[in-house]
Parts: sequence; C-alpha cells; structure tokens
Amino acid sequence: MDDWLIAIIKVVGIWVWVLLIAVVMTWVERRGAGLIQDRPGPNRAGPWGLFQPLADGIKLFTKEEIIPTKARKILYILGPLLFSLPAFSAYAVVPFGDKIILGGKEIILQVSDVNIGFLFILAIGSMAVYGVILGGWGSTNKYSILGGLRSTAQMVSYEVPLGLALLAIVFVYGTFSLRDISLAQQGTFLGFLPNWGIFKQPLGFILFIVAAYAEANRVPFDLPEAESEIVSGYHTEYGSMRLGLYLFGEYVNLVTISGVIVALYFGSWHMPYIDLGAYLGPISWGIVSFCIFFLKVSFFLWMFVWVRWTLPRFRYDQVMGLGWKGLIPLALFNIFITALFIQLTV
Amino acid sequence: MAKPVVKKEYTLLERIYLWEILKGMKLTWGHFWFNFKACWRPGPHTIPTCWQYPEDRTREISPIFRGEHMLQKDDKGREKCIACGMCAKICPAKCITIKKAKRKEGEEDKYAAKTYSSSFEIDLLRCIFCGFCQEVCPKEAIILTQEFEMARYTKEECILDKPKLLANYQKAKDEGKLRPPRKRVPVVPAPPKPEGEEEPEGAEGKKAKVAAAGKAKAKKKPIAKKKAAEKPEGAEKVEATEKPEGAEKEE
Repeated sequence: MDDWLIAIIKVVGIWVWVLLIAVVMTWVERRGAGLIQDRPGPNRAGPWGLFQPLADGIKLFTKEEIIPTKARKILYILGPLLFSLPAFSAYAVVPFGDKIILGGKEIILQVSDVNIGFLFILAIGSMAVYGVILGGWGSTNKYSILGGLRSTAQMVSYEVPLGLALLAIVFVYGTFSLRDISLAQQGTFLGFLPNWGIFKQPLGFILFIVAAYAEANRVPFDLPEAESEIVSGYHTEYGSMRLGLYLFGEYVNLVTISGVIVALYFGSWHMPYIDLGAYLGPISWGIVSFCIFFLKVSFFLWMFVWVRWTLPRFRYDQVMGLGWKGLIPLALFNIFITALFIQLTV
Repeated sequence: MAKPVVKKEYTLLERIYLWEILKGMKLTWGHFWFNFKACWRPGPHTIPTCWQYPEDRTREISPIFRGEHMLQKDDKGREKCIACGMCAKICPAKCITIKKAKRKEGEEDKYAAKTYSSSFEIDLLRCIFCGFCQEVCPKEAIILTQEFEMARYTKEECILDKPKLLANYQKAKDEGKLRPPRKRVPVVPAPPKPEGEEEPEGAEGKKAKVAAAGKAKAKKKPIAKKKAAEKPEGAEKVEATEKPEGAEKEE
C-alpha cells in the first residue's frame, strides 16, 4: 500500500512540477526574448509579468474551438493529443534527485528506474512525430502539410545522430539506466576532471545537444513551424486549447531534454569535487540533490531560449546536409573512438 | 551597375559553426545582461530604447507631428478662422464641414475678420492627418496639435465641433505647446519677360496667371539667373505682398 502511495505521489508531484516549469518557461522565453532584443517583454500581469502564462492559459481555454470544415476530423483531433501525451510521459524515467529516506524507507527520486532507461525516452520521443504529422495532414492545409513533411524528415534524420551519441554513452557507462549513469558520475578521473559525461564524451555532447535541438523543433532547426516561410507549419489551423497542447508539449519536451542532458552529461545531482551526500542527512540531501539537479536543468532551459534569439533558421537543405553529412559521420567516428579507447584501456 | 557578389572563403573554424555560435551568444548575452540590469533600476524608463507608454510620457514628440486639430485665436483672443472653406476644399478625406456667417456689429472682439465660421466640424474618423488643411489655411487658423491620444467611446464624440476645437487650442496654449507662426516660404518670382518689356510691378492679381504661363515658358537659365541676382529682394517682396493677396482672395 505504501509503495502505491509513494508511486502515486511521485508521479503526480513530478508531473505537476514539470508542467509548472513548462508554464514558467513560456514566460522566461518571452521575457528573455524581450531583454535580448532591448525591450522589456511582458511585464504587466502581476509582479514582473509572472502571471502572463496564466493570462495566456485563460485566453486559450476560453477561445472558441474551431475544426476547419475541410479538416480530417479524427486526425485533426488526434494530432495535439499524440503530441502532448508522449511529451508528458517521457519524463518518467528521468531522475530528479538522488534518494530520500523517509520513515526508514528509501525512496528513489525518479518515477521509475527502468533498465532500458533512455531507450524509453527515444521511443517515446519518436512517438511525438506522429502528432506533428497527423496534425499537419489532418488540417488539409498546404502549409500544415509542408510543416508536417519537414518535421518528419527532420526528426527521422536527427534521431540517428541522437541515438548514436547515446550509444557512446552506453559504451562508457555500461548501462542504459539513467539512475545508474547518474550515480557513476560521482568523483573525479585523471585526478582533476569531474567524472561527468561531458568530459568523457565531449564530441558526443555536442552531437547530442545539436540533435536534441533539432528533435525539439527549436531554433535553429524550427523548420516545421518556420513562421516566416510556412505561416506556422503544422499547427497553422489549430486554435484554442488544441494549439495550447502543441505549444505546451513543446515546452515539456524542452524540460525532458534538459533533464536528459543534465543526467547524462552534467553529472546529474552531483556537485563537482564535493560529495555533499556525505555531509548531509538523508532528507536534506534528497532536497539538496533535487535543487542541484533543477538548477542545472534551468541553465539548459535558459540556453534553449538564449540560442533561439541568437541564431537564424537553417535552410532546409542545410538542415539535411548537416544531419546526414555532418552529424552522422561524426557520431560514427565518436563511437569508433570510444570503442577503441575502451578496448585499449579496459 | 549591380554590386558584384564576392563569395567569402570561410575558414575551418567558421565552417564548423560552433565557435561562431558562441560569439553570437556572447553578443546576445551582452544585450540581455545590460537590459536585465536596467530592469532593476527605479522608474518606468529604464531600458533606453523602450518607453513604458501610459506611465512614461517623456518621449519627445516631433515638433511637426500632426495630431488632433485645433482652431487658433489671435493674440487678442479673437477667432482667426474666416470660413473661406479652403481647408474643406483641399481635404482629401472630405472630413471638414464649415458653415459661414457674417460678423455682426459688436462682435469685433470675438471674430478677427468680417466673416467667421458659425459651425466647424471635423470628422476624426475620416481624417487622415495629412496636414493639408493647415498648409492651405491663409490665416493659420486650423493647426494640427501634438495631441495623439484620440481614442473615444462613441462615434459622436469623434466629430470635433467648434467648442472642442477651441478647447484644444486652449489646452495647447496652457501647456505652452503653441508653435510660432510659420515663416512664409519665399516664392520664386516669375521669370522676366524678354528684353524691352518691363516687368509689371505689383500686379498681384495677374501673378497667378503669369506663374502658370511662366511654368510652360520658363527655361531653366533665366530662373537660375534671377535667383542668384534678386533673391533677397524677391523674397522680401513676396513676403510683403503675400498677405494682402490672401485676404483679397477670400473676400
């Protein structure tokens, strides 16, 4: 009974927490955009404009729901659901802290520590492309279809370097489980470097982050919704809460991706050089590890915003060229080097 | 000639993007950090390129800004408008309606000229703020102020009648926003007749005709010569003669 209760609390808690971050992210993105472009951004609703997402939410909820007469109704309705549900469920295997001991019971701060680990995230992440394609196809609009097509090609292309970069991580740590990988990143190697993924897989990290940006449809790879070319791509015909699900799912994806980046490459909840877990009590260490983890996550979330307002969009052929001619050979090379290194040292 | 396109050879560092991306991110971080610090300063106008409008009205408005209209009075407090109807005539949006009335005995302290406008209506919903009316007005009676907050709740309120226009004048006067009377633009006098004929002096009535005809006749050279030789005199003359001419036309 207790296990059930703990599981439910963890699921609901982390779900609400991720949604909360996603909500705040919409505000951060707009304020950040404003400040980078020499203007204040939305600063009217509440203190520093913090209630802006609330106002946006109310607006999206109260808007009239329109299904275009020519749209394929079932696909049109399925699109946003298929996009947002995987986004909401992908965080299940990402840890959000070390562990906490309550009443003699050890609770892992992770919804489920499955041994297939990030294969689950890859699988769930690939599901999201269905939402984009169905939304684009179901709208019966030329811009939507173009957006859906672009998204298909882009996501399929960039899943390959993403998977290959993660494969090199498996070579290094010998496990798929995100929790085991996180635990393995404690301490230092070569005497001075923290035992983090980025120092063991620098090339892999670059490949992963580029591919992750493409998977999340973020600038500079936001071709599926390139607003200056194809109106707003696959969600051109969407309005009210259906549009809201698309936009919201995107931000939840960002949180998940940032969580994966931190867990795999940036030492999860470990501080460099200091093992805080040895000094703190079991409960306080649980809370502190949670805070450290999400500080790192918030840095990567900010980086999504920062990169977005720095870079222009790639041309379509450039995206494909970079993916197939740049990232995939590099990822294969990275795997080769990693395998060679491990073969020689172990 | 078209500008030749020079294709730059990119170095290896530039072709792998990453270093250049970091440079770009440094630039945007500079902007972000500057404005982020500015946000914490007190006062509404902290980000230098951005005015928080309803709270912060310190932004300078151009002196030639064309906003809401007003009807001017002269220094004795008399209405300048003589209801000549030129503004209504030139208005491209046809938003001005004027009714003319004759000044009666004992109204000399109210109206400056013999005629005045008994009603003067400007439909702000039609007005395009081109400023032709103030340009054509011989008495500088109608002027566009710097007032730009023209939102109103009903259509009826958007029609400016005479009291409102005069109130606008009073408001501008109280705020010290009245502009000095404009200087007359010196008009280039008509080109001289071929030698032998004297240029008729003071023939103001004909002047328009001469000018019209002169446009066709005039070669560039004589005008340029005339300009160089007689500019100061000509300018003065025009200024001196212009005013009565305007007055004559209306009556």
